[in-house]
Amino acid sequence: MRSLVFFLRLFSWFSLRHIGKHWFQAMLVLFGIALGAAVFTSVRLSVHASLRSFTSSMNHIAGRTEKVLARPGGFLPESLVSAIINHPSVRNASPMLSGYVQHFGADKEPFLLIGIDPILDRPFRSWQIAKGKPRKVGMWLDLLKEPYTLILGGALARQYGYAPGEKIKLEHSRQTVDFRIVGVLAPENLALAEGGRLALTDIATFQEFTGLYGKIDRIDLRLQPEQTAENFQNIVSTLPPGVIMSSPSERRESGQAMIRAYQLNLSILSFASLFVGMFLVYSLVALNAASRRHELAILRSTGASARLLFLIFLAQGTVFGLAGWLLAIPISSFLIKYLLHGVSQTISTLFVRVTVEQLSLNSWEIFLSFMVTIFISVLAAYLPAREAMQVSPKEALSIAEHSEQADKPTLRLAGLGIFFIVLVWPLSKLPGYAGVPLPGYIATLLLFTGFAMLSPWILEQLGKALAPKLRRLGGMPAYLAGRYIRGSGNRTAISVGALITAVALFVSLVIMIHSFRQTVQLWAYQTVSGDLFATTKMGEVNQFRYPLSPEVIRTLTTLDAPVDLVPNRRYFLNYGKFPYEFELLDVVTFLRYGSYVWLKGPSETAIHRLISGDGVIVSEVFSNRTGLTVGDLFRAQIETSLVELPILGVVRDYRTQGGVVFYAMPHFKRRFHDPKWGGVRFFLRNRNQNLDAAVVSLRREIIEKCGDQLGMISGKELRQSILKVFDETFAITTILLFIAFVIAALGITTTLAVLVLERTSQLNTLYAVGASFGQIRRMIFWESILMVIAGETAGFLCGLILSYLLVFVINRQSFGWTFLYGLDLKALVFSLPLIILTALMAALPAIRLVFRQPPAMLLRER
Amino acid sequence: MKAPFLQQKSHKRKTLIFGILLLSLGTVLQLFAADDSGYFSVTGPCNLEFPKDHGSHSGYRTEWWYYTGNVDSENGNRFGFQLTFFRSQLSPAGASRHWPKPASQWRTQHIYLAHAAISDLAGGRHLHAEESSRGALGLAGVALNETRITTVHLKNWYAKIGPENQHLKAATDRFAFDLELIPTKKPILHGEAGYSRKGRASESASCYYSFTRLKTRGSLTLNGKTFAVEGLSWMDHEFSTAPLEPGIVGWDWFSLILSDRTELMVYVLRQKDGTINPASSGTFVDPDGNSRHLTKEEFRVLVLDSWKSPNSEALYPVRWRLSVFPLSMELSIVSNLADQELQTTESTGVTYWEGSVSITGTANDHRIEGQGYVELTGYAKAFDAPM
Repeated sequence: MRSLVFFLRLFSWFSLRHIGKHWFQAMLVLFGIALGAAVFTSVRLSVHASLRSFTSSMNHIAGRTEKVLARPGGFLPESLVSAIINHPSVRNASPMLSGYVQHFGADKEPFLLIGIDPILDRPFRSWQIAKGKPRKVGMWLDLLKEPYTLILGGALARQYGYAPGEKIKLEHSRQTVDFRIVGVLAPENLALAEGGRLALTDIATFQEFTGLYGKIDRIDLRLQPEQTAENFQNIVSTLPPGVIMSSPSERRESGQAMIRAYQLNLSILSFASLFVGMFLVYSLVALNAASRRHELAILRSTGASARLLFLIFLAQGTVFGLAGWLLAIPISSFLIKYLLHGVSQTISTLFVRVTVEQLSLNSWEIFLSFMVTIFISVLAAYLPAREAMQVSPKEALSIAEHSEQADKPTLRLAGLGIFFIVLVWPLSKLPGYAGVPLPGYIATLLLFTGFAMLSPWILEQLGKALAPKLRRLGGMPAYLAGRYIRGSGNRTAISVGALITAVALFVSLVIMIHSFRQTVQLWAYQTVSGDLFATTKMGEVNQFRYPLSPEVIRTLTTLDAPVDLVPNRRYFLNYGKFPYEFELLDVVTFLRYGSYVWLKGPSETAIHRLISGDGVIVSEVFSNRTGLTVGDLFRAQIETSLVELPILGVVRDYRTQGGVVFYAMPHFKRRFHDPKWGGVRFFLRNRNQNLDAAVVSLRREIIEKCGDQLGMISGKELRQSILKVFDETFAITTILLFIAFVIAALGITTTLAVLVLERTSQLNTLYAVGASFGQIRRMIFWESILMVIAGETAGFLCGLILSYLLVFVINRQSFGWTFLYGLDLKALVFSLPLIILTALMAALPAIRLVFRQPPAMLLRER
Repeated sequence: MKAPFLQQKSHKRKTLIFGILLLSLGTVLQLFAADDSGYFSVTGPCNLEFPKDHGSHSGYRTEWWYYTGNVDSENGNRFGFQLTFFRSQLSPAGASRHWPKPASQWRTQHIYLAHAAISDLAGGRHLHAEESSRGALGLAGVALNETRITTVHLKNWYAKIGPENQHLKAATDRFAFDLELIPTKKPILHGEAGYSRKGRASESASCYYSFTRLKTRGSLTLNGKTFAVEGLSWMDHEFSTAPLEPGIVGWDWFSLILSDRTELMVYVLRQKDGTINPASSGTFVDPDGNSRHLTKEEFRVLVLDSWKSPNSEALYPVRWRLSVFPLSMELSIVSNLADQELQTTESTGVTYWEGSVSITGTANDHRIEGQGYVELTGYAKAFDAPM
């Protein structure tokens, strides 16, 4: 205890006072680390909120369900309920229908309508009508007694201002109907699913509203205790063809896995900010260790052990970590407001629908951010602390201001750095594990570390090579700057390392986003071709489960406008736990106007066989995730048919929720069953007319003939919306990138500031021997130019390698897709000088520090 | 053309519905209570015809088929059993005119509830289970087939009422029974030829008949062990629309099968102030199957002992003295097991006591004994949450 108190006192006198004296640098470092920790924490908390919302939604909807009966891509016959409910192994069974509907005339934001039998469902899900007036026992029975009644989720009731007894008009693809609100759900259990944006109705009403007579989505089961595998088999054997029994956790787990993978990607990206922050801690602690060697030696000579000095510097890192983390709290609370919505929207767009009402503070996430921040701060302080440990008591007698630093041999460090960089190649060839591109991340870390290790050597070489030339270019100040940079050692290199990281991130992300966008654009214009797309109202949000009615199809096939129709049907299925779409379309007509972006097998034979219905083509994502490729057999249960077809080719596809398998619709109908039309895309035959006007006229004709039964979007709008989603998705990436830059700029400011302060007397001596203020300031400025150029050049190289990792390794392992690699030269040419300029701006505060104190005063002090 | 008593009329008054087994249905009725208008009322003679009236009486709000009995296994173990089916109509017949067209197959006006219980008297335990479902898509319902067998079923529990015999089947994860019941007497019509008054108003009544002595044989499974059993059972079938009369807090219902081949049914409607409602009554069945209606003044029930439920904390009587004055009958009734309470949170939500009892006593100075069932309601607080 006494030794702890002694240590704390010593730490306070030796370190805290010093930090207090140099508060400006300390504040910069703190702000940097806080910003990094805040980004890391807010990103993780935001994704966690989405993950929690999704999991809790799935759990509340699954309730106490043990097994689920469903038909992939289709519906179950309702007659199955009485058969299954009387099965001896089945304890309870509850049929369910659900789909998204929207409030007529309101914000059109769809919400989930769940159709259940409230009696059969009782053992499965818990819900209560909120207390209020009017309230009587058995209000829920009104759902059975009276058609078109519902119980509204709390969030919806609040949003639309409805109370029990009032009517709410709901829209579905089939019709618009007034529902009487029987009550509002109390905020517990099932009512918490979908963030309270849901409503419950009786299964009869659901069928009458949606027209799904005789059909149900699924039957949830609770089984008799102590069921054996034989009993399960016994249940399965009684099921009609195409009906499968699965666990409710399967869908939840597949959704969770996708969100977790996204969380990891964002965490890594946000960790980059923290990583850059680590350089800041390193540079300041290293400066302290280097500039206070004399004091350290005195401490040693007065009895302090080497271990004590080591601990003091480690404690410095800890204090920076702790204070930075505390400072991160208010920054996080500000950041999270922006990230929460953006992240949940991205997850809804990319993977699964989530509704995040509010942020939930997760103790594990907070603990994790705390530990990570402290860990990297301590880690950053480790090397300087080791250096401090090696200070000999003899140095106390030295009259030199600074004893010679035992700089590490830059060549050896560079060799290690190159070794790390070389390791990136074999690592990039390794497969990811469970959707996590671990080798890719390790390769990235090695790449950053490698370049950071290489930076002292680069600076040395730069200084060596440029010093004579600089003399010609910028006179003596530039020459001296070059000489200084050459021998400035690891401390300057560290700051350059931070800049390398930031520039590399910038370059690689610019390249990746550009490549991605270009490929998506190509895909959108070739594969998502078409002038007008029509489907049932709210078709997409309901996964196109409601086919077009025969009347609508008749109308669409007899339009006056000269158009070609490509009907399609999309089934949302799972291959194991991997979600994908099975898309049927009229390939012949489609290929007349559009095409696929082929990756493998774009031969004439493959296209001919696709048209002939001899096989399927699969998306790159599907192929990468399932391991199936050209020549393999694709096998799936689709509604009542077991589909087994060879894979003819692999194409690029950037649909967000999993992979895609394409097959010719007419052949599916002939070989399997009538899939019915889920939607239609129209191609205007005359391509020489004003296409926009023709689409408007076509849309008008459809509305005149079909009313508002269809959801329609022009091809142009659809492609624009795809790109808009893309841009929105990368908005978060851009924000994170920007923050990494801010931290890197802080790094430049800190490094230069400490270099200036460290050399105050040297600079004053220069002044004393005749150098002018302007010359000395120019010298500092040249130093920063050299650092920034070195950082940017190495960062650019590092970024090129990183962009390869991102496009071909990390994206493939995370999402299953790759892109056509393309350099965004325009963006790079414009932005790289801008970065130099920004970094130089960051050097200004340091330059202003020179001669803050009168030179005479400083010289007298020595 | 409806029978004269099947007047379709609207009535707002809260009158006493009858029902011994209405005990449990008391809350069911509240739970499922709808607007009174449009339901059929029982206001006169019931003119019951069989097998037609073994079936369902759509248009009346409430109906039940109630089986209780005592059986012995070959090794001498005694068991009591209960199997009850309730039908509750959610809306009057005319309401279906407002249904969407076409209507879903799930749309129905009827809800069915069922309770099954076993009293393992030797093992000293009472097990019960419950089921409920809407009367649609073959999940529950009542049907008369071409062989004149009426089937009342809910999921895989059923009661089949045929011209010669009846068949009961219920299976749960803890117990099951499969019993064949042979009536030894014709159906007994309670009250005035089945028109059983339960209050002052003419519509405060039900149509009510019973099979008071059913020879019973079959199998009973308890925790995986199956016993061959035989004994005697009682069946009630009753339907009505009228809700409970205000002031009634519960009732005690007795169905007693006596050794002299007579049977006795008595129900006592208890009022808030501790008095007995005048509508309380009973029926005595002689060995030849002739019945005699008993008015409230013709019998008296004294409670001799009570038992407090550790689950609901309700205090139930478990020993009685029943005197039937015109028959010079003095009976001592004692429950065969104290804890025969049912907490039916998954269906009706009612907590009640329904249990096997033993009878000893005298009738016209002749010593008699017997077995029976007693139902006690209103002793515990009713469940007040739908979910």
